[in-house]
Amino acid sequence: MISGGVAVTPGQVGIGLRAPHVAEIMAGRPRIGWLEVHTENYLGGGPAARALGVIRESHPLSLHGVGLSLGSVEGLDRRHLARVAELARRIEPARVSEHLSWSMAGGVYFNHLLPLPYTEESLALVAAHVSQVQEALGRPLLVENPSSYLRFRHSSIPEPEFLGELSRRTGCGLLCDVNNVFVSCANLGDDPEAYLAALPPEAIGEIHLAGHTRNDADGHTMLIDDHGSRVAGPVWDLYERAVARFGPVPTLIEWDTDIPALDVLLEEARTAERILERLGAAGGVRGLAA
Amino acid sequence: MASLRELQRDVRRALLGRGDDAAAAAVVEDGLTAQARLGIYRHHVFTTLTAALQATFPVVCRLVDERFFAYAADQYIRQDPPAGPCLFEYGATFPAFLAEFPACEGLPYLADVARLEWAMNRALHAPDHVPIEPTVLRDQVSTVSGGEVFCLDPSLSLVASPWPIDRIWRANQPDADPDVTVDLRAGGVRLEVRRVGDDVVFRGLDPGAFAFRHALAESRRLAEAVGRARAVDEGFDLAAALAAFFAEGLLADIARAV
Repeated sequence: MISGGVAVTPGQVGIGLRAPHVAEIMAGRPRIGWLEVHTENYLGGGPAARALGVIRESHPLSLHGVGLSLGSVEGLDRRHLARVAELARRIEPARVSEHLSWSMAGGVYFNHLLPLPYTEESLALVAAHVSQVQEALGRPLLVENPSSYLRFRHSSIPEPEFLGELSRRTGCGLLCDVNNVFVSCANLGDDPEAYLAALPPEAIGEIHLAGHTRNDADGHTMLIDDHGSRVAGPVWDLYERAVARFGPVPTLIEWDTDIPALDVLLEEARTAERILERLGAAGGVRGLAA
Repeated sequence: MASLRELQRDVRRALLGRGDDAAAAAVVEDGLTAQARLGIYRHHVFTTLTAALQATFPVVCRLVDERFFAYAADQYIRQDPPAGPCLFEYGATFPAFLAEFPACEGLPYLADVARLEWAMNRALHAPDHVPIEPTVLRDQVSTVSGGEVFCLDPSLSLVASPWPIDRIWRANQPDADPDVTVDLRAGGVRLEVRRVGDDVVFRGLDPGAFAFRHALAESRRLAEAVGRARAVDEGFDLAAALAAFFAEGLLADIARAV
């Protein structure tokens, strides 16, 4: 059981709740394991807040933040953290997650997940902020690996080791975005399977899957994490490796640009469910069971 | 090696188009220039923020077309980037930016349409409120001093314009009759914008009611609000105005100014 009294059966896969699908989901048509919302879209009142209040009665929810800016040297925005904590108190989500990134500097919020250099300085800073967030929430946070288009010269710690050490220091869980692993490794010349192998399996509390595009810039191919298409074949293959290594972790299908009919997301969710079933999710889905 | 503080300052400059040399020096090139790599992030930042502005100001976007809107948004984002992490709260100063934007000089009503759209966006996301009961004021009526400050429905905004921005807005809805034209000489409007249930609505007010509500929305004392209303409408009727307040559920609380 999770909060809200909704029983979660093993092998369930969720989808990201997006505005065009809210009415359909509120009408209760499809069966969906769980739903994830972007925290920052639900910090106001009005119809969005009311819809979330209705949906939480029938679906387990998770809160996925993009605005806490865990890596900002200027510190966490206390007002924003208080708003996030209040929303979490109100809707009692199954999980709360954020990103290994920063988005604010000099008082400017870029509303985008910007890359950190992986250094001891960054690790100490992010760890302090994760602890601060967990204290405000009264629960562990899941921290997600970002999609990367650059690497800083002075980065000295590989990203999966950085995340593993962050988890060890703070007790936070990790959200492994398999598409981001694929995209970042392709863009930075790393091996995605070695990346997964370097993550601590016991820390993984959720997996994300999404589509990406290829962009040829200046004769160089970059993969862009645009969440605007079906999950790519090689990412499904990598997902199988991830499930084999991490176990049957709750999995989310994300789609943010050119959002298709709900049925398309449900088809993607079925594909993930079949993989979870095939790889033997007999023990129930980790991270959802009490 | 730059400290994290210096690096974030340099990346901030690069993203806002104020020079990316310092940030680029910290980036591994490896087949693609540091500028091109930083450019991917800059592109995503501007795409996301432009889409957020488009979602908040759809009629402005329709009036100027999408390409021009993207150009104006680009200039605006550089000048006044977000100060918070919620996209639905970004754009409060966009109407003022448009009013001063030289390329929009030929559309003198544009900034006021943007003000209406901002008021509607504010109303959509405002916290819910519980209107106070008429009996609260009735109980206090013997002690009304004029020093009261009214706390109004948080979704309420009052927007005045010398242009018929209500008609411009209606004529530019997706389901509007394409043959309807708006006469720009039709005169100005005084609009009240608020959320009723899940719907954001606006309607025209007479000069006295507009002045009265506008003053109260600015947290002016009751006596001052009445004075402002009577300055534009000698026959302004306070009792009727208060009755309308309660009938419309506009009042969230009454405080006494100290």
